[in-house]
Amino acid sequence: MKKRLKRKIAKETLLLLFLTAGLYIVVMPMVYMISTSLKPNGALYEFPPRFFPRLQEVTVENYQYIIGEGKFYMNFVNSIVVSVTTVAAAALVAAALGFCIARFNFLGKNLLFVFIMLTMIIPGMTLIVPQYELAVWLKVIGKLTGLIPFYIAWVIPYSTFMIKGFVETVPRELDEAIYIDGGSVFTVFFRIILPLAKPGIASVSIFNFLTAWEEFPWANTVINDNAKRTLPIAISGFFGQHQFTQWGYVFALSVLSLIPILMVFIFCQKFFVAGLTTGSVKG
Amino acid sequence: MKRGKKILVIIMAAVIGLAALTACKKSPVISETGQTTKESAETKKAEQKTVTINFWHHYSAQSAENATLEKVLIPKFEEENPGIKVNPVSHEWADLHEKILISAKSNTLPDVARLDSAWIPEFHKMGILVPLDEEMSDFSSVADGLLESAMATANIGGHAYGLALNTNTKILFYNAEAFRKAGLDAPKTMEDFVNAIKALSGTNENGQTVWGYNEPALAGWNLCPFIWSFGGELTNPEQTKASGYINSDKTVAAIQTLADLYKAGAITGWNSGDIPMTDGFGTGRYMMLLEGPWKIAELAGAYPDLEYATVDMPAGDGGSHSVLGGEDISMFNSANKEAAWKFMQFMTSEYAQTEMAKCGQIPVNKKALENDTVKKADFAPFLEAIKNAKSRPTVASWSEIDNELSVAVTAVMNGEKTAKEAMDELAVKVDALLAAE
Amino acid sequence: MNKTAKGKQWQIGMLLLPGLLVFGVFTAYPLIKLFIMSFFKWDFGSMLEQQFIGVQNYKEVISDPYFRISFVNTLVYTLVTVPAQMALGLLVALCINSITHLKVSFRVLYYLPVITSWVIASLVFKYIFNTEGMLNYILFHVLHLTDHNIRWLDSRWGGLGVAMLLGTWKGIGWNMVVFLAALQTVPTELYEVSGIDGAGAVKKFFHVTIPCIRGTILFALVMLTIGGFNVFTSIKMITGGEPGHQTDTILTWMYYKAFSTGKFGYSAALSFIVAVCLAILAAVQFRLMKNREEG
Repeated sequence: MKKRLKRKIAKETLLLLFLTAGLYIVVMPMVYMISTSLKPNGALYEFPPRFFPRLQEVTVENYQYIIGEGKFYMNFVNSIVVSVTTVAAAALVAAALGFCIARFNFLGKNLLFVFIMLTMIIPGMTLIVPQYELAVWLKVIGKLTGLIPFYIAWVIPYSTFMIKGFVETVPRELDEAIYIDGGSVFTVFFRIILPLAKPGIASVSIFNFLTAWEEFPWANTVINDNAKRTLPIAISGFFGQHQFTQWGYVFALSVLSLIPILMVFIFCQKFFVAGLTTGSVKG
Repeated sequence: MKRGKKILVIIMAAVIGLAALTACKKSPVISETGQTTKESAETKKAEQKTVTINFWHHYSAQSAENATLEKVLIPKFEEENPGIKVNPVSHEWADLHEKILISAKSNTLPDVARLDSAWIPEFHKMGILVPLDEEMSDFSSVADGLLESAMATANIGGHAYGLALNTNTKILFYNAEAFRKAGLDAPKTMEDFVNAIKALSGTNENGQTVWGYNEPALAGWNLCPFIWSFGGELTNPEQTKASGYINSDKTVAAIQTLADLYKAGAITGWNSGDIPMTDGFGTGRYMMLLEGPWKIAELAGAYPDLEYATVDMPAGDGGSHSVLGGEDISMFNSANKEAAWKFMQFMTSEYAQTEMAKCGQIPVNKKALENDTVKKADFAPFLEAIKNAKSRPTVASWSEIDNELSVAVTAVMNGEKTAKEAMDELAVKVDALLAAE
Repeated sequence: MNKTAKGKQWQIGMLLLPGLLVFGVFTAYPLIKLFIMSFFKWDFGSMLEQQFIGVQNYKEVISDPYFRISFVNTLVYTLVTVPAQMALGLLVALCINSITHLKVSFRVLYYLPVITSWVIASLVFKYIFNTEGMLNYILFHVLHLTDHNIRWLDSRWGGLGVAMLLGTWKGIGWNMVVFLAALQTVPTELYEVSGIDGAGAVKKFFHVTIPCIRGTILFALVMLTIGGFNVFTSIKMITGGEPGHQTDTILTWMYYKAFSTGKFGYSAALSFIVAVCLAILAAVQFRLMKNREEG
């Protein structure tokens, strides 16, 4: 018995050590980014290079520059506006689609479902050329409204697919009870489905937020003005290939732009996992 | 446990709801007018219509030029011209070219842009530039105040498709301390230059690699000084044919020399992982560079203790020929012409040109050139070098030729092809591009 | 009854409408347009008069050496990163599944790279793998494993290697979470039974764990293959396709042709080829998944 316990402790310690070692590699790039953002700009090509800045060198001048320039605020607001609108609209639209597909038979339902699956498979970027033509025709180039509907369209397939799975777990008897009481499809949707599928919708929304928050190629193509740039474009804008790249600024802005994502992640961890695993375990 | 979950959901919903609310409130203001509420309030007070002109440029976002533009010039212009706002947008050089092509397609061009003079023929061919001499009644009085040689870069078929904004060329910057220690003199000939590059490359006391020379890219802007100074050419004088010129022995020799130096580990700079030019020169890792006047201000700001000097492009069989650079400020045909023209006049005025001269932009305004501040700036060697500098081909397909050239020379540098093979293949491609002009 | 049924149809229609509208306009229409564009000469030069040129664009794509390079690059990227992520993710999941302390902390920390945006992660990797970067300093000056700074970013396989490393680094967390969930579904009795048989840990893993999570493995395979073909931002930020388009992937090459040279027709044809390839690939994988589940 004692021997077994000893073996167990040894195994646990070994695994913990192994996981910690792996963790160093996994989080090292992030730590390096934060430490670089705290270095003065002149120290970037020092020799020998340091992983952490010298204690007396630690500075927030990069952050002061980023925040003081005032553009950061604009970019931040743009990212929030785009992400939140995308998330809210996509949640409603995809929930309605998922609900209808899970519960009803209608003309072209199978076709719609196949099409949704298909667009999940095709890389979104392959559509960038005709979508650009569309954006030109809609006169939304250079505007935030040129981002939001496209983002919504991109996240709908995955969201619908996931929410449909969640709706299927809600017992049909609940719907029936509403219909018997004379309720409409809308009543069922808003009173039963939305509240009960909320964890599913929440988990999908977190992913949609992440997608919209970090989207780069489309925003980079559509947006021009500094005042309308979202954070990813603002970050890449600091970065000229052969000019003098101020890594301190780049990383300070990066750290700032990661904060909202980190907050969402920490507060909504449970939904994250729920959203990831429903599709996978059912297979 | 359950309660915690519920609270979480409520918080989430509240955050999303709140954010959505602000989104509804804010997005129309930001996305439609492109101005802040504060600005429109001011406008109402002034009781007149505000015109916003978009000005695209490639002063890099963190440069002194950009700071001067945004903090000195534009405020001054807006003060002098109530009712006109300028929205400056900085793009990286290559991005600006790309963005203008795309925007032309989507009818979202800016009003005014600062363009590399090498792009003017291409944009003219696309039909997006305004012929200023035809449209602006006071054109000649403005143009007369600017250098004729610089104005020529915007002239196609007798019409002016822009105002000259600044002119430049590249000269050789070298690390004076290192030259002294190695007992070397500033290189005058191509032979001296190659020898100095080889002599100065190696490792420093920290065991870090030191390169004799840095070239930050392999485009025409970078290669032409070598090709011309070796006595080579890109095209025939009529700019209709490349075969026999771009693959001539002398052009090939220029490319081969650079490739040999690269192979010997003596030059670098165009690779993704290389140290940026200014930092490398400032920290003594690159011993020489071929650069323009802006580098002086940049070095003074970032590496004030660096001991360096400048000299003309080393002379080869073809003499000493640097590449003529410079930018024009042009108006697109979708512009608010009246406001745009005012801004263009302002940017080429003595005041604006003198301010920009402080950050290393050589003025083209004749009065500004006589200004004391400008005379004090160290432009003399550049103005001297401009006399022997040559223009890159002034053809509409230059950007495509430039790109093909860059790809071809990259292959030579990486040892995939010999210079002769690569340039022979390139000549066929460029011939086709020129034939389609 | 008939009346209520009809009313219901109506209401369903109303619910479907916004979704169908967004989907129709912003996804379905561009997909059809993509197909049409691919048969036209459609570029900056012919902005106003597009000309039907049949399969000319497709011919051009297929015979383009740069397309072939980018295709091979994408294929290699997928073939390397997908198994690497899955193996490492599964390994971490197995470890976390077997410990009793700090389970949640490890899960959170290992997931961090997943939520880091591609732009930021790419820049961090570019900074680390710079020729003058931290990694070279450690390899050369501290450990003396090399006698010069290695040019990680400046060759085809070097640049792609860094991108592949980034892709793997960023994907481990996702795989870990997915496999952790799957491991929870493996009935513990099965382990006990095999334990009585005297099976070792390795044997247990291959005879019990793997068959039980087969469905999840295939799911991850499909998702990650799609993800592999989607690689764009990391290449764009780290190498930009340099040197001389040697590190371009299908999507960066497509983007370059469309937005830098204005060859929209060419890009449409290229996109369509990619879309069809992926659809077939995914269909095969799905079929495989179904067969395995039934068998």
